[in-house]
Amino acid sequence: MSNFSLSSRSEQDIAVIMPKGYINTIGAERLELTSEELIGRGSKKLIVNFSDVQFINTIGLSIFLSIVQNMLESHSQLCFTNMKKDHREMFEMAGLIKHVKVFKDEKDAFNYLNGDINHAQQ
Amino acid sequence: MRNNKLDLKRLMFSIASLVDLGQEATSAKDLSAKMKSALYVITGTFSVPKAALFIYHPLHRSLELLADKGYRGSALQEIKLSVLPRHIKQFQGNEPHSVQGMAGSSFYERNGQILLKLQTKLFIPLFAKDEFVGAIALGKKIGREAFRQNEKDILRVVAHQMAITLHNVALFKELSRKVAENKRLYESMRRIYHDTVQAFSAAIDAKDGYTKDHSYRVACYAVVIARELGWKKEDVEGIYVAGLLHDIGKIIIDTKVIQKGESLTSLEKIEINKHPQVSYDILSKINFPWKNIERFVLHHHERLDGKGYPDALQSTELSDGEKILSLVDAFDAMTTDRPYRSKLGLDEVFHEVFKCGGTQFDEKITNIFFNLLLREMSGEVKDPQIIPHLRGNGTEASLPKWAWEASGAPGASNRNKS
Repeated sequence: MSNFSLSSRSEQDIAVIMPKGYINTIGAERLELTSEELIGRGSKKLIVNFSDVQFINTIGLSIFLSIVQNMLESHSQLCFTNMKKDHREMFEMAGLIKHVKVFKDEKDAFNYLNGDINHAQQ
Repeated sequence: MRNNKLDLKRLMFSIASLVDLGQEATSAKDLSAKMKSALYVITGTFSVPKAALFIYHPLHRSLELLADKGYRGSALQEIKLSVLPRHIKQFQGNEPHSVQGMAGSSFYERNGQILLKLQTKLFIPLFAKDEFVGAIALGKKIGREAFRQNEKDILRVVAHQMAITLHNVALFKELSRKVAENKRLYESMRRIYHDTVQAFSAAIDAKDGYTKDHSYRVACYAVVIARELGWKKEDVEGIYVAGLLHDIGKIIIDTKVIQKGESLTSLEKIEINKHPQVSYDILSKINFPWKNIERFVLHHHERLDGKGYPDALQSTELSDGEKILSLVDAFDAMTTDRPYRSKLGLDEVFHEVFKCGGTQFDEKITNIFFNLLLREMSGEVKDPQIIPHLRGNGTEASLPKWAWEASGAPGASNRNKS
């Protein structure tokens, strides 16, 4: 049985993906496919909320790498929120953090993406 | 201080990556899934969005795509890199080669276009025990950073592990191919064995027009009982072969004696009673893949009361296989025409066999056989195995109630047959 699931929603032009559980097998590629679908539907702003993510390994990192690459190629904006310390350190180590904006929670990410920079705390 | 902490974190990250790779390489996933996962570990570890893994085919002298990451569509499916033996000599084992540095080499001249298409920055040949087994083509890192020296060091370790995995895959494939080939050979030998045994069986039965197909029927009946007793498939096959060959010793007996029937002289009886021993002598020289064939054949005329031949064994000395052959041989003799008498009706056969229960025939074996026969006659068995051989023996008629009760067939007491 897979320990990974995800949900997504769109609010105006901002899409939010909430992965859940373990991102450590190629089964989690759904994350990449979902982000591609959302971009394909015209979302140029994507938030990934990490609050329900329990574990990420290098396979998970590879999947996020593709998401970041796709966002860069499509000139879209990507925000990560609710990251645990060890997840953030892993992304830093892989050199991914410099390509995304990291926020404490979704509210700050929405403020940033809606142009309300004064109320967004990275 | 900060740099030391960062180095330590990088080291921990590298160790975690190697652990991930080890887990994927040794997982029970199929080859394609395993290699894809391993490639994801590598791309995640080195922050490379695009990469491809190739396996080397010595016969084709080419590197063929095994897994890829980050390339869209199916454009890569047919990609192959041409590799000549002299290229392999030029590769430095498991060492990451900068594609830029390879420009001008014969390998690059042949494969440069493909490497450009793959956006390859590093080409890592994979060697296991000095044998070239594959390669990894790594694209540029995200953000276009150059690969650090420590990353290249880790890449060498990763390459070694991937090489061992590919080498094991190649060994496993070769082993699987040989196992499949052996299985085909075994099946072919088994068919030849069966054909030979059938031919022998037909030769035995051809000596006497009255016993035509006798061995075949004995074999079929024996199989039915063995299956009911829950024998293993190979043992059932064994008693089938024993049934086909049980009378092979009759080959040396004068046809006139075989066809003469009941009015045999004592010398002729001695002569004909030799056939189990002769069968044994012939068959014991053959190394059958099935157990006990010659023993079953030797004792198919033994009786529980010790009055059989050739060894006058007692009930406790006889195995189920010997008791089965003894019963079905007699049953077929009773249900077919002989030179000295016509075949018996089934009710007579039942009566005769049950009368001899405990003295000549084993009651457990007898009950199993007749129980099944009765169920076949009543239409309870979808695929009957006995009655197709008994047409004209009264299988269409009702049997006496006592036969049902004696056989222990389910629901026997409710049957209103008289």
